[in-house]
Amino acid sequence: MAEPLPVEKAPEIAEGDFAEIVRRHQAMVYSIALHFLADRSAAEELAQDVFLQLNANLASLKSDDHVKFWLRKVTGHRCIDHKRRRGLPQVALDDVPECAAPANEGDPLLSRRLHQFVASLPEKPRLIVILRYQEDLAAEEISNVLAMPVATVKSHLQRSLAMLREKMARALGEVTL
Amino acid sequence: MSVDNDTNRAEDTLKRALRRQQAPDGFADRVLARAARQNSAESRRGHRDSWWGVFAQPVVRWATVAALAAALVTGGLHYRQVQYDKAERERAQGEAAKQRLVLALRIASSKLQLARSKVNGINAERTANHEEKE
Repeated sequence: MAEPLPVEKAPEIAEGDFAEIVRRHQAMVYSIALHFLADRSAAEELAQDVFLQLNANLASLKSDDHVKFWLRKVTGHRCIDHKRRRGLPQVALDDVPECAAPANEGDPLLSRRLHQFVASLPEKPRLIVILRYQEDLAAEEISNVLAMPVATVKSHLQRSLAMLREKMARALGEVTL
Repeated sequence: MSVDNDTNRAEDTLKRALRRQQAPDGFADRVLARAARQNSAESRRGHRDSWWGVFAQPVVRWATVAALAAALVTGGLHYRQVQYDKAERERAQGEAAKQRLVLALRIASSKLQLARSKVNGINAERTANHEEKE
């Protein structure tokens, strides 16, 4: 499972710092899973499985950047696999639990509706949106993580953003993105 | 300009809504506990694999197969010999019993012959005495 490192140079992983890696990246992995699945317990289970897989493959990873790249990739693939394996139907907007909005968000209603709309996107566009706006990755980096053409990533992003804006405008009326 | 502003505002809103969340309390500890169990299981499997690893070498594998085949052939031959010896022993015992039975029958026959001749002698004597009296 050793992918080519998409960064130039990075500090090497010291032996036995799996615990440090977990603490450093737990929020990233958990948040990707949570925003994708919109289910706290499923997100935690999936995030734990990702770290266990990392533990088994740690020797093949060269640096912290490589670990981060690997974690994003594996988490994304596991999210999609999880959804397909469970055979979950497309999430209806009102069925998405209000789980991911942090308390200090500017507009809780807006945030909640956004989470619902993101959760209603198809699998790949949803993952792309999460990687773009949660992880602040550029389209080129997302294309590396998901092994898909940059043009496809950009097209998904544009369409998803347009869809989200339209849905928000329709749902909230006066509140515009 | 307005479209750009709208897009930027939309992206900022999405970034705020989708920003990272803290993992649940104790998440790292739970992961580390599971990883420790995983490492322990891996270690046990590795130990077992290292023992079985001996058989990964073709020479050892073929030698093991040859030894097993030789053991099977030898065992089969030995079993056949044991069965043959047993059958031979039983056949010899049966033959001896038959010989003893024939001998016993011969002795009995000669005794009967003797008794019969004695009875016949007594009967002939009685008949002769009876005729003399008459």
